[in-house]
Amino acid sequence: MACLLLGAIALSLQAWDHDRMDAAARRIGPRAVEGARALQPLIAQVAKQDEIARLAPINEFFNRRVLFRDDQEVWGQVDYWASPLEMLGKGAGDCEDYAIAKYFSLVAAGVPAARLRLVYVRAELDGGVQAHMVLAYYAQPGAEPLVLDNLIGDIRPASRRPDLAPVFSFNSEGLWQGVAGASAGDPVARLSHWREVLQKARAEGFLP
Amino acid sequence: MSLIRQIWLLLLGVVLLALAGSLAITVVAERDTLQTQLRLKNNDNAQALALALSQQRGDASLMELLVAAQFDTGYYRSIRLVRGNGQLALDRHADPAPAVAPAWFVRLLPIESAPGVGQVSDGWRAIGSLQVVSQVSYAYDDLWRSTLRGAAWMLLLGLVAGGLAMLAVRRMRVPLDATVAQAQALSEGRYVVVPEPQVPELRRLGSTMNAMVLRLRGLFESQSAQIETLRRQAHCDPLTGLPHRAHFMDRLSSAMQREDGFGGGLVLVRLADLAGLNQRIGHEATDRALLLIARALQEYPERAPECFAGRLNGADFALCLPAPDMTAETASSLGAALQAGLQGQGPGIGVHIGAIELHRQQGAGDLMAAVDLALARAESRGLFAVEVVADATASPALRGERAWRQRIVDALDGGCARLKAFPVLDRKAGLVHLECPLRLQLEPEGEFEPAARWLPLAMRSRVTSIVDGKAVDLALEAIAQDGRPRGVNLAAASLADGVFAAHLRHRLGEVPQHAAKLWLEVDESVALAHFAAVQEFARLLRPLGVRFGLEHAGQRLHQIDRLYELGLDYVKLDAAVCRGVGRSDAGREFVRSTATLLHALSLSVQAEGVEDAVDADALFACGVDALTGPWASARYEE
Repeated sequence: MACLLLGAIALSLQAWDHDRMDAAARRIGPRAVEGARALQPLIAQVAKQDEIARLAPINEFFNRRVLFRDDQEVWGQVDYWASPLEMLGKGAGDCEDYAIAKYFSLVAAGVPAARLRLVYVRAELDGGVQAHMVLAYYAQPGAEPLVLDNLIGDIRPASRRPDLAPVFSFNSEGLWQGVAGASAGDPVARLSHWREVLQKARAEGFLP
Repeated sequence: MSLIRQIWLLLLGVVLLALAGSLAITVVAERDTLQTQLRLKNNDNAQALALALSQQRGDASLMELLVAAQFDTGYYRSIRLVRGNGQLALDRHADPAPAVAPAWFVRLLPIESAPGVGQVSDGWRAIGSLQVVSQVSYAYDDLWRSTLRGAAWMLLLGLVAGGLAMLAVRRMRVPLDATVAQAQALSEGRYVVVPEPQVPELRRLGSTMNAMVLRLRGLFESQSAQIETLRRQAHCDPLTGLPHRAHFMDRLSSAMQREDGFGGGLVLVRLADLAGLNQRIGHEATDRALLLIARALQEYPERAPECFAGRLNGADFALCLPAPDMTAETASSLGAALQAGLQGQGPGIGVHIGAIELHRQQGAGDLMAAVDLALARAESRGLFAVEVVADATASPALRGERAWRQRIVDALDGGCARLKAFPVLDRKAGLVHLECPLRLQLEPEGEFEPAARWLPLAMRSRVTSIVDGKAVDLALEAIAQDGRPRGVNLAAASLADGVFAAHLRHRLGEVPQHAAKLWLEVDESVALAHFAAVQEFARLLRPLGVRFGLEHAGQRLHQIDRLYELGLDYVKLDAAVCRGVGRSDAGREFVRSTATLLHALSLSVQAEGVEDAVDADALFACGVDALTGPWASARYEE
């Protein structure tokens, strides 16, 4: 009984699942296992720090470890939303893969999903314009967010990113997530990229 | 529970379970699909609306307009925008729309409308989250309609399945019923063969039962052939095969004592100068002449079963005719036939013929004396002379047919009908039943007259079924009064009358406890001449508990080819075969074999016209189950 109680408390404190992540990484491949082994102590470590302090190590981890490549090149598809471990397994990804991996790693490290948003932005880059995605952190609702981007490694407040024009934002807050695997057999529910990647992240142990 | 009913229940259960189960599965699956679609719709709409709101640069009135425009389509239960601090920025909500689907259905299959959520922002500034919930009643209505449609289809399928099952069961039932009917017939003593069923399980049973039936039939047939031989030995003249004197006389008196009477004639034929012929033309030629006479006489019984002939002694032959007013004609035509036949045999061979109209009140002995007298007169007139004595007293009062019919019907309706009662006793002197012939009082204050007086007239006037119906009614009344079983005999015409049988069946169905004490019988000759009618009659009435049998039997029992298919309960042996068995080995042998055969067919055997204790003891020793006649009546009164 005491064991059960302790187990339950431990589960509620730690939002992510170490074993599940290991198992998922093994299924993906040796590079994913390697990536997971590096990511896990980082998540555990930053979880002990202030919320603000958690952002930089995670941002840096992915920016450094993953090469920027087109989906076409990495996955052979025009647009593919990879889960964190899938991206680590390939060692490459595009803008939304970075944002997604950072999002789930921060959620796993204990940052409330309500303070994080994935933001579609219009980026001016080298004189051209590009559709891009970044992760925004809102310390308070309605406050100016901090931007986690793969183009510029520093975390800067939104006002210091005149190159980015936000269009639309979303997160997993309030989203009906259902039971794991419930939508696996449901062809209609499969359509959404976001829903699918959420499912995968849960299977990889980033979400309870 | 019957096998067929079990199969029906099984089929019904399986079909209902399958249909109800598939309906339930379909409905639940559809509910899940609807729920998923509703969730996705909520989500998509929330995303689309949130995207649109995010483009308004935080203008509250524009955002409100957009939300209102979306909400006013009527498909939403609520659309609300919640700020980051939990404050409600915009809220539109409606009551749940009324559903066509009944409340119990909604409770039984709840559909959850999970809210769709979208994030609204103004540039980098997060404004809040947008929650969209659609009305769920449209989904209920959809589910309800498709459930009804599904149920209708299932019902249709169920009916089709039921129809097919009915055909299949009916197909199965045919051989089953045939086999059961065969078994039923066996238990009733009817040995019928049925077509072999196609179903393998039943085929073996059917063929085994058929084989058994055929074996039994073979047994009965050989036995009945043996009995026929015994009958000939006991009752017939070895040379001509005609009944000998004693048996002829027994039959004559038995016929004349019958309740339903006898009107007719007796013809005596004598080969002239038998001793002289023997000397002149030899034994063989004389035998040829005798055989020729026998053959000429034999033609009459063959044509009319009620006729019977006999060889009284060396030169004397007799022919008994069953109908009145045809003696003279028969005698002269017989004379002419014999004249033509015998003259070819040689000179001096001839016959004399004497004939007489019979009258019931006469004894057989008186009759023989009278006919002898007629013959003597014929002899005095030379070869091939025919002398007929008409008995004026015997001819019934001449009346119009219509008048007779009226009188009989009046007597039946006016309470001028009465049953006599003659007991049939078993070997412990217990009452088997009372034989109840009907008597009618045709003249006011007159006697109650036996059937002999009026039955021929009733037959001619075609009122026998009315007469028989009355007799059965009286017997049932008497049974109701004293509870003693009673027997009634029926005429052939009544049996063939489908209305009579149906009427009787209805009448007996009303009083089943009395029907079980009613014994109905018909003459042996009726079974011979109207086999199908008798069989059908037995099939109709025996299930009601009525006992059904043959009376005056014995002479032609072996001629009823399929006695075992007739469906009888008992057989009454004619007085002619029972009388004198105490003193005749051959007669006893015949009765014993007949009784053995009938017992093998599960029929009980009764003897008629038993006059003394010697015959009674001998009959019981031969296996007869019950007796009637003067001896039984005397014992019963004791």
